[in-house]
Amino acid sequence: MLEAFVFATILLGFFGIIFKKNLVMKIIAMDIMSTGVIAYYVVIAAREGLFTPIFGDVQMGAYADPVPQAVILTAIVIGLSIQALMLVGVMKLARDNPTLETNEIERGNTP
Amino acid sequence: MTLPFWMPFSMTAVTLLWIVLPFLAGFMSFLLPQWARYLTLGGALASVGYAAYLFLENPLLQLRLLDHFGVSLVLDPLTGFFILTNALVTLAVLCYCWQSDKTTFFYAQVLILHGSVNAAFVCTDLISLYVALEVISIATFLLIAYPRSDRALWVGLRYLFVSNVAMLFYLVGAVLVYKAHHSFDFSGLHGSPPEAIALIFLGLLVKGGIFVSGLWLPLTHSESESPVSALMSGVVVKAGVLPLVRFALLLEEIDPIVRIFGVGTAVLGVSYAIFEKDAKRMLAFSTVSQLGFMLAAPAVAGFYALTHGLVKSALFLIVGNLPSRNFKQLQQKPIEPRLWVMLAIASFSISGFPLLAGFGAKVLTMKNLLPWQVIGMNIAAVGTAVSFAKFIFLPHKPPELVEKTTLNRGFWIAMVILLGGLLVANGVYYDAYDLDNVVKPLATIALGWLLYGALFRHLTVKSPRMLEQFEHLMGMMSLSLILLFWMVLA
Repeated sequence: MLEAFVFATILLGFFGIIFKKNLVMKIIAMDIMSTGVIAYYVVIAAREGLFTPIFGDVQMGAYADPVPQAVILTAIVIGLSIQALMLVGVMKLARDNPTLETNEIERGNTP
Repeated sequence: MTLPFWMPFSMTAVTLLWIVLPFLAGFMSFLLPQWARYLTLGGALASVGYAAYLFLENPLLQLRLLDHFGVSLVLDPLTGFFILTNALVTLAVLCYCWQSDKTTFFYAQVLILHGSVNAAFVCTDLISLYVALEVISIATFLLIAYPRSDRALWVGLRYLFVSNVAMLFYLVGAVLVYKAHHSFDFSGLHGSPPEAIALIFLGLLVKGGIFVSGLWLPLTHSESESPVSALMSGVVVKAGVLPLVRFALLLEEIDPIVRIFGVGTAVLGVSYAIFEKDAKRMLAFSTVSQLGFMLAAPAVAGFYALTHGLVKSALFLIVGNLPSRNFKQLQQKPIEPRLWVMLAIASFSISGFPLLAGFGAKVLTMKNLLPWQVIGMNIAAVGTAVSFAKFIFLPHKPPELVEKTTLNRGFWIAMVILLGGLLVANGVYYDAYDLDNVVKPLATIALGWLLYGALFRHLTVKSPRMLEQFEHLMGMMSLSLILLFWMVLA
């Protein structure tokens, strides 16, 4: 069930990238898609348990798998920096293409 | 393992130092701007040295850092070829830019790109590869957008967007592999669900610029500045190709898929390249097809990658100095003989003419094909000869009759590195020189030139660019994904 929602998020994001005209909207759609991917890692990590794996005296029961979480942390940071970079690029583009519609920009900038 | 006397550290330590060095040097160059070029030089030379070591000692080094879930690296001669390509191309581009007014920022990005490409070449687990590929995307974007013009920004953004979306698919694939094996190792692809393999392949195909999912490549490579195009075509796309080659070598069931994509992209690339009227776009499409040659015979991809990297970056640097990019205009305006000689050497090598490394690479590749691939790859080879005949038959006149282009010393040093590298690398596979092997490429080239002279020279077909539009690139990704899924399932 959770997995189905996660995949729906990923797909919605992907369709947003295709169908939205505005460049900023496309970037937001990409963010949604990456949120879906991150959520999927969390879902996979929580397959066998939900407790945070912290070394200590008290046994809490089934622990979550820390590896996917550690990995996705890296991916979140990378995704964040790429998005920041893209938005800076969009800001620069917006000066000459105020509507930021991709097909307009594309028409103006392909030889 | 006993260490030779000249090596004070263990191999592991040296390897790790070598991987970290370009990144450290890249950040250092922001602190010491006047040293930026020397730091870049140091980083590239370190890679040359390291690749030389890999060839001389021939080690098969498998490192596993941080336990079972950690980073794993493989260093073997195959990696050596790719590292050497990266090192030589970076070196040549650096020499080319040495006297230009590029800022520290440019050199720092070149260094970081160099380091991340190296990292992508050596790692053999999915997550390290992901990180390396994403760093490559960022560094490449910054290099493309370096001129800060609207067009450069748009081309860069388009590149970053496409590759980031592809990498998101890749991440989903990676976690599916983890779900099946509790490990991110490449070998985990064996026995993973088909959707995992399809998703990972999609990411790598897009990053490597292969087949229809690689149609972002022509615009990106042709609209960047020449040195940046040289870097991208020479090494950056290979960061997506090497993992595919490794998969094919590692897992038998994946080998046919990689080979099919090899033939497909080789034919697709040349069929665009033949009709292309713009020199830089032609080179970019030829990159697409040459990547196909690498994938078509995974076992010998390393040598092919080296020769292609050298020749393609040389071509991009030369074409950047031609008076025009349009073949029509070039045909009316004779070029300088010294430029023409350089162009001809490079074009001969890529067409597979004996005495240059391209010949050995092509013979090796053709020998390692499976029977069903032969027809497709031969068509691609003839197509390559046709498209490069456009350069070879450009008119040239004695220097006093044409207007001079100023070429600085850096350009010539770059040419010595790249074209000299081709001559030296020619010695690697000297078994290729027997009658059979020599006759066939010559016949291919002759056929190509005949076709060019008789047919393609006069044709004006405008190849469609619809598939290169941004939305179509995205749509094509979903189609490729479905195609891949069925291929894996079959």
